[in-house]
Amino acid sequence: MKGRGIASDVLLGLAPIMLLLVIWQGAVSFGFAPATLLPPPGLVFMRMARQLVTTSFDQEILSTLFRLFAGFSIAVVLGVAIGLAAAVSPSINAAVRPIVRVLAPLPKVALYPALLLLLGFGHESKITLVAADALFPILLSTYYGASTVEQKLIWSAMAAGTPRRGILFKVILPAAAPSILTGCRIGLVISCIVVFLAEMITSTDGLGHVLITAARTFQAVDMFVPLITISLLGLILNGLLQAARSYLLRGFPEV
Amino acid sequence: MTLRALIARLAPFLACLGLLAVWQVAALVLNNDSFPTALDSIRAIPSILGDKESLVNILASLRRMAVGFAVAVVVSIPLGLIMGRSRGVASFFNPLLMVIYPVPKAALMPIIMLWLGVGDLSKTLVIFLGVSLPVIYHSFEGAKAVEEKMLWSGAAMGLSALERLIRVVLPAALPDILTGCRTGLVLALITMVTSEMIARQSGAGNILFNALDMGQYDTVYAMIIIVGAMGICLDAAFERMRERLVRWSEPQFDIPLSFS
Repeated sequence: MKGRGIASDVLLGLAPIMLLLVIWQGAVSFGFAPATLLPPPGLVFMRMARQLVTTSFDQEILSTLFRLFAGFSIAVVLGVAIGLAAAVSPSINAAVRPIVRVLAPLPKVALYPALLLLLGFGHESKITLVAADALFPILLSTYYGASTVEQKLIWSAMAAGTPRRGILFKVILPAAAPSILTGCRIGLVISCIVVFLAEMITSTDGLGHVLITAARTFQAVDMFVPLITISLLGLILNGLLQAARSYLLRGFPEV
Repeated sequence: MTLRALIARLAPFLACLGLLAVWQVAALVLNNDSFPTALDSIRAIPSILGDKESLVNILASLRRMAVGFAVAVVVSIPLGLIMGRSRGVASFFNPLLMVIYPVPKAALMPIIMLWLGVGDLSKTLVIFLGVSLPVIYHSFEGAKAVEEKMLWSGAAMGLSALERLIRVVLPAALPDILTGCRTGLVLALITMVTSEMIARQSGAGNILFNALDMGQYDTVYAMIIIVGAMGICLDAAFERMRERLVRWSEPQFDIPLSFS
């Protein structure tokens, strides 16, 4: 019974995507949109399938992925470390809180010109931008998760004679894990978005660069291919993170 | 007011000053042409804000952002709430939203420009798209977590489904919704800058990246300060409004953990 419910949910969820494709195809075939502005979906997916097997396009995907992962990993490490430290130590909290309040709402893309001038046009500036943008959601949700850990759990651990470091890694970190992973999920989506934007602004490779080259030469088909690719990448990465989440949080009451 | 409270109050300003000081020192140490000192950049601000054309441009950016944000909030909150309360609606929209979420909305700009031109409409549409997703997501999560008992009580007292949605679900989900709006606000600013960077016709993003292309580094850094200040001010204003609206919901995370 439950299996059938999930199956019908999936069908229901596919409906709007199908509808979108039908409208897209309809708009082209009934002449509402000229094919130069809106190529038919069949053409776009064919083009994408052909592109995916070429080494040059795979190279672009790989360089995008490299920047994405490098930036995202830096953000995870820094975000979790700073978030935990701010939650357990009042003095670090006092120092970190105002800085985060100032930096978190700052649109990091506006910093990109400065990063370009300082770090050059290579990987470094893009990785820094991705890390800066993904850092704050992870930091804030780590902090939130760690500071809402039940005080009783900490007291019990202390009563059982756990040293302070042990409490941090054996009690607070696991208890904050659901919140941290939620933050990572938001951070991952933001990383996808930002790496693409950075590549659109200045780059010589990567998916964003593919889009902007296509836009400059008015190749509408080639403009859709990188967009769909980044959407698929986001879906796959999200799925992987979801799998990691259900593995890490096995045994938690409700995930 | 005690000294401690005063310091706590001024902490964000102190943090700003500290960051500017770090910048100043770093620029003096690096002594690089493309990295002017903080003071030089601040000195360039009045000339930008004094110039009538740039001021009009920046205000136009803000207007587009406000319109995009407002429309997105008005559309997304009801959709998110309904998704949170009805499993069918949720499974109808969820996959579509998951597909759209990782697409950078500003990257749609070149395509939307082909259809709608480079004017206000395409930029506002892109901002709308950027803001609506986090607001929908957080409203959805908030509405999903509403306690069933409250809804049952509402139903027992004879509230219709729509009344329950407005009088029970909306207030209960308000803290989550406002978190989504806050994320949306930052995203609106990001999308605004990038969409103008791509369309290169008017607006704050245009000034910023034109200055970069022309090598006017003072202007680049001054614009960064202006855009950053916009973000910080908008966020602070929003935070003040949020505190007033959800005073009843206890902010648990303000209590630091203690080991004692």
